[in-house]
Amino acid sequence: MNVDRERLHRALNPKTVVVVGDKGPNYQWLSNMSEFTGQLYSVQLDEKEIPGIEEKGITNFKGLMEVPGDVDLVVCAVPRQVTPFIVADAVKKGVGGVAMFTSGFVETGEELGAQLQEKIVTAAREGGLPLVGPNCMGVYNRRLGVKFTNNQEQGEGGEISVISQSGTHGIAITVGAQHLGLPITRTISIGNAAVLNEADYLEYLRDDPDTSVIVMYLEGVRDGRRFAKLLREVTKVKPVIIWRGGRTKAGAKAAQSHTASLASDDAIWDALLRQAGAISADSLEEALDVLQCIVRLPRSSKRGLALIAMTGGQSVAITDQFEKGGFDVPELEQKSYDKLAEFFVTIGGSFRNPFDAASTIGRETDNLAKILDILSEDSHIEGVALEMQARDFDQGTERVDGQVELVLKYREKTGQPVVALMPEGSVGQMAPETITAARYYVAKKGVPVFPSFSRGAQALGRATRYWAWRDETGS
Amino acid sequence: MADIITSARADGRTLLTEVESKQLLQEAGIPVAMAHLAKKPKKAVEIADELGYPVVMKIVSPDIAHKSDVGGVVVGLRDAKAVRKAYKEMMERVEEAAPNAKIDGVAIQTMAKQGTEVIVGSTTDPQFGPVLMFGLGGVFVEVLKDVAFRVVPLEGRDAKQMVREIKGLPILQGVRGQDPADLEAIESLILRVSDFIETHPEIAELDLNPVFAYPDGALAVDARIVLTEVPA
Repeated sequence: MNVDRERLHRALNPKTVVVVGDKGPNYQWLSNMSEFTGQLYSVQLDEKEIPGIEEKGITNFKGLMEVPGDVDLVVCAVPRQVTPFIVADAVKKGVGGVAMFTSGFVETGEELGAQLQEKIVTAAREGGLPLVGPNCMGVYNRRLGVKFTNNQEQGEGGEISVISQSGTHGIAITVGAQHLGLPITRTISIGNAAVLNEADYLEYLRDDPDTSVIVMYLEGVRDGRRFAKLLREVTKVKPVIIWRGGRTKAGAKAAQSHTASLASDDAIWDALLRQAGAISADSLEEALDVLQCIVRLPRSSKRGLALIAMTGGQSVAITDQFEKGGFDVPELEQKSYDKLAEFFVTIGGSFRNPFDAASTIGRETDNLAKILDILSEDSHIEGVALEMQARDFDQGTERVDGQVELVLKYREKTGQPVVALMPEGSVGQMAPETITAARYYVAKKGVPVFPSFSRGAQALGRATRYWAWRDETGS
Repeated sequence: MADIITSARADGRTLLTEVESKQLLQEAGIPVAMAHLAKKPKKAVEIADELGYPVVMKIVSPDIAHKSDVGGVVVGLRDAKAVRKAYKEMMERVEEAAPNAKIDGVAIQTMAKQGTEVIVGSTTDPQFGPVLMFGLGGVFVEVLKDVAFRVVPLEGRDAKQMVREIKGLPILQGVRGQDPADLEAIESLILRVSDFIETHPEIAELDLNPVFAYPDGALAVDARIVLTEVPA
């Protein structure tokens, strides 16, 4: 449909929210909205439910039409048979939009579900009503405290927006990013995307000043031609990470031509993402990994890395992974070697690049500071991957703070990307839970950090390829 | 252009013959080894005389998708006598292999100088509409599936990338003393096919297989077009 952008904007940034059909004992939707900064109302006919709602201090009405003033967002949680009446009222009242949690539509594969969906879709289209879903978790807006789960944070900040065909994955991306210290500004769980489709939301985010990075979980798209065209535009302005689920080789059908027989769904998606400059991810981890690099690191398409590992074995492993990820591990300039030779412990260590540095970087960070200083002056080096030590993190944060501070200083000085790697089985032999805690601590301080060399290499590789694409397209 | 499609539609056909396909492609500015229809041996000789020898003869039938499977392709015909003989024998072979096929005649085309075989094709993806494929021909496409796709319309950079994306690229760049193929000519052919497909939504599938890639230029040697089931 022709999306009424102004109405959609109201729905995604509401001042007034009405929850229709919430039920005790938990009153899930009203509870989710407990930090909502605007005006919250309830609509519920069921006399049994009303006292519980009023106990929460929320004014209840018997119908949407009775709610005073403008309504920006209706959260609809009524049984599916009732949905046509709610949509009709929403059209009549001229609400901004409806987020329809109710399920039991085309996704059931039954006749009745399909008919009901057709009914509400037709009514919404005719009424110019932006309808999110059905069969979705709806809308999260960080700043305004509009939520669909209690785990979503309320507050300032956030430049990342999420569009998800799965409510679960929408939550997982949001909460996962929050744990890494990357606040999500808005998440839209789009469910059956029956009225507004993937392209409509992408277009909204393209123009949304609160969004500078987009993450999508998709299994398929409805308006593929428009989506493809739009994606090519958006990626030139904002990075778009697409985690695609339901990958299948099927789709290549018996056909009369060679071309058709090879054109599997998977092959075409891969082609589109490459062609459109989107960042492809195969899993939640991959999506969050690359998100860290995109959000935290300066834009860089350069490939010459200094690799700093703590032992000989790790220096081989880190090199294998970063070369596989598309990076070069150049020799340093002679002047760097000269300076390193002054203090670097080469018995049981090495600084050719990769570095085997545990014998030089002990419990103090002084030598790490010297190494980073030298690298920052070396014209062969365009970025750093550092095996960061969680040693003593159970005693306090001081040691990790020291390393983080040096990394941030290096990044600031050089404008180069630096990633931290904190694998288990590293020197120091810390307990897994200590390493995990240290990792989240580092991530929150603003340094992309990964539990394995391969994940770090892949993530930085994806980000680097994206920026190379921007360079190539002059965008 | 419209005539060929209209007449195929009128016959209830979605598969265009090689002669029809190549005519459409030539009109779109795609370099193609033109094939001319001969319904009789005499006409076949006339065309061959005009084109110059050697020539290639292929069966033309709306019912036969894979011509070589029914003995419907003969190459290297050096004179009029050979053309007449080939015509007679081809009709006998095809009659035996595909007794129910409607035969329009044969297509005569100049025998193109051998080049590196590549394939350029298109199909319609259920989500994204027309898509384009590029790969090396023969076993590379059939067994190794070493191909690259892009969604139509393509930009110059897309054609450039897809040609370089396949694992068999070194073969095009020249191995064992072979001259490198003209990658720019391949890219330009791909872009023309993209334009052709974009402006003709009634085309569901297209195979240019093979395209001969030369040190200078590229030429589609065989072509097949399949129309959409319902007129677009």
